[in-house]
Amino acid sequence: MKPSDLLTRFPSVLMAWRNLGRNRVRTALATLGIVIGVVAIASLGIAGAAIQQQATTDLGSLTNEVTVTSGQDSDVDGVTDDQVARIERLLTDARVVPQKTNTTTIESREGEAFVTVTGLTEASALYNASAGEAPDRLQSGALLSAGTARELGLELGDPVEYEGRLYRIRGLIEAEGGFGGGGNELVIPPSGLADQQHYDSVTIVAADGEAATAIVDRLEAEFNDGEEEELSVTSFASAQENIDSFLNTLNLALLGIGSISLVVASVAILNVMLMSTIERRGEIGVLRAVGIRRGEILRMILTEAAFIGVIGGAVGALVSLGVGLVLFDAVAGDALLVVRWSSARYLVFGFAFAVVASVLSGLYPAWKAATDRPVEALRG
Amino acid sequence: MSVIVLESVTKRYESGAETVVALENVDFHADRGEMVSIIGPSGSGKSTMLNVIGLLDTPTGGTVRIDDRVVSDFSEAELTEERRSGIGFVFQDFHLLPMLTAVENVELPSMWDTSVDRRDRAVDLLHRVGLGDRLTHTPDELSGGQRQRVAIARALINEPDIVLADEPTGNLDRDTGATILDELTRFTTDEDVAVVSVTHDEQLVEYADRVVELIDGVVQE
Ligand SMILES: Nc1ncnc2c1ncn2[C@@H]1O[C@H](COP(=O)(O)OP(=O)(O)OP(=O)(O)O)[C@@H](O)[C@H]1O
Ligand SMILES: [Mg+2]
Repeated sequence: MKPSDLLTRFPSVLMAWRNLGRNRVRTALATLGIVIGVVAIASLGIAGAAIQQQATTDLGSLTNEVTVTSGQDSDVDGVTDDQVARIERLLTDARVVPQKTNTTTIESREGEAFVTVTGLTEASALYNASAGEAPDRLQSGALLSAGTARELGLELGDPVEYEGRLYRIRGLIEAEGGFGGGGNELVIPPSGLADQQHYDSVTIVAADGEAATAIVDRLEAEFNDGEEEELSVTSFASAQENIDSFLNTLNLALLGIGSISLVVASVAILNVMLMSTIERRGEIGVLRAVGIRRGEILRMILTEAAFIGVIGGAVGALVSLGVGLVLFDAVAGDALLVVRWSSARYLVFGFAFAVVASVLSGLYPAWKAATDRPVEALRG
Repeated sequence: MSVIVLESVTKRYESGAETVVALENVDFHADRGEMVSIIGPSGSGKSTMLNVIGLLDTPTGGTVRIDDRVVSDFSEAELTEERRSGIGFVFQDFHLLPMLTAVENVELPSMWDTSVDRRDRAVDLLHRVGLGDRLTHTPDELSGGQRQRVAIARALINEPDIVLADEPTGNLDRDTGATILDELTRFTTDEDVAVVSVTHDEQLVEYADRVVELIDGVVQE
C-alpha cells in the first residue's frame, strides 16, 4: 500500500496536511509558538527536578538517621547501657549505634590536628570508606577522616595515638554530605573510651525518612511522657519534609511560568486557525455544499490544529531533552539522570499539554467553520 | 417522475424594516435527462431559486419535494446526505480546492466516504471531459475551461439525480463556454441526470430543453 493510499483512508489527515502546507510560514510560526511553550514548561520542570535531586543528594543519608542524646530531665549525663538496651528491644528493624565521643589532638611528623574521637562498633552503618574499610564490627584499629590524614601525611596502616594507646588506621572516611559531621574525625572501638561510663549519643539508622519519623514518635512515647524528657530525640527527616515542600512549591511556580507561555502559544494557534478558516470560508462552503458533513469539517480543522500540536510538541520535547541533558550535567554532573521518570515526565507532560492545548484552540475555529451556513459562505 | 418539485415556493429576506421578496409562488420541476435553463435579469432570484433546489437554502413558504419526500422535514444532517448523494454543483468561479489535484478534486464529494473507492470513476469522468492527461495537475496549472470541466466531473462523481449550475460559463469566453455547455448536454443523456443551469447569457438557451424565465421572483408563463 502506498502512503497516498493510506492517506485516502484518513481524508481528514490528508486534507489537514495539505492545508497546512499551503501557508508554510504561518504554519511554521504557529508551530514555533508551541515549541517555545513546550520548551518553557518542560525545561522549567526539569530544572525543578534537577534542583530537587541535588538537594536530596546534599542532605544525603542524614535524613534517615535519628539521634538520641541525654534529655534535660535525665539523672545521668549521657545515655546509659540500660537505655540503649531498651532502645534496641524497641527497634528491632533499625540499626542502633551507641557512641561515645571526646576530642583530642593527634600528632605526626608533619603537624597536628584537632579531632573528634568517636567510639563505636558498627562503623559501616555510619561511615563510608574511601580507602581501606569501614567494618561492621570495629574491634581494633581506627578510621580517620581522609582530609585529616592528608593533612598529617598519614596513610593506611600508620598508627595514631589516643590516651596512650596506638591504633592502626584501617580505613579513611569521607566527609558526609550535608550539615556538620565529616570534618576531622577519629573513629576507634568503644573500648578506647571505656573510662566514660555513658554513651554521649545513639544514632539510629532507619530505612528512610518516613521510618525515621516513626522511630522518633515511638522513642518519644517510650521515654518521654508529658513534660519529663529523659532522652532527647532528633532527626533530620522533618527538615527534609520542609525542604521537600519548599521545593515542590518552587516546582509548581516554575511549571506555572512555563504553562503561561504555552497558553500564549495556544492563543496564537487560535488566531492562526481562525484566520485560516475565515480565509477559506468559501472553500469550506463548497465542501459543505457538495455534501461533506459538519463533523467531517470539524475533524479536518481539529486535525490541522493537532498536527501543529504534535509537531510542535515533539520538537519542543526534543529541545527540552537537550536542555535537560545540559542542566543535569551542570547541576548533578551526570547528564543521563535526565532520563529518570522524575524529570523525563516533564517531557511527556509538555508534549501532552501541547497537543491538548492545540486541539482546544482549534475547537472554536473548527466549530465556527463547520456550522457556517453554506449559502452564506459561498456568497462570500 | 420529477427529481425535484417546488410548489408555490416563496423566499423573503427581512433586513430591518425592508423586506425583499426574492421568490414569489414559484412552481417548478425538473426531470431526468432534461436540461432546464433559468434566465432573467440580475437580481430576479435565479441564484436564490437554485440554492433552494440545491437544498442549500430553505424557503420561507411553500414546499420542496425530492422523490416525494418533503424537504422541510429534513434535519441538517439529512440535507447534507441528500446533497452528497443526489445533487451535483457547478459554480461560476469553479471553486476547486487549490491544494488538491484534478482527480482529487473530482473525488472530493466522496472523499470522506471510505467505504467506496471512486478513483476509477473520477479518472473515467476526467477522460470523458477531455482531461485524461491532466489528472495530477492542480487547479492553478489548468485553464479556466479546464477547471470548469473538472468541476463538472466533480458534480457527477456521486451519480447524482440532478446537477445545478449557476452561471457555469460566466467566467469563460464564448467558445470555451460553448464546449462546457456541450459537455453538460452530453452528460444529461449519458448519465441520465437533470441539469438546471442559470444564466443571463442568451447562448445557454440554445442548449436547453426548457427555459424558465424569472422576473422579480415571479416565473413568467
Ligand atoms: N442574504 C440576502 N439578504 C438579503 N437579500 C438577499 C440575500 N440574498 C439575495 N438577496 C436579494 O434577493 C434578490 C435575488 O437575488 P439573487 O442572488 O437570487 O439574484 P440573481 O437572479 O441570481 O442575480 P444575478 O443574476 O445578479 O446573480 C436580490 O434582490 C437580492 O438583493
Ligand atoms: Mg446569481
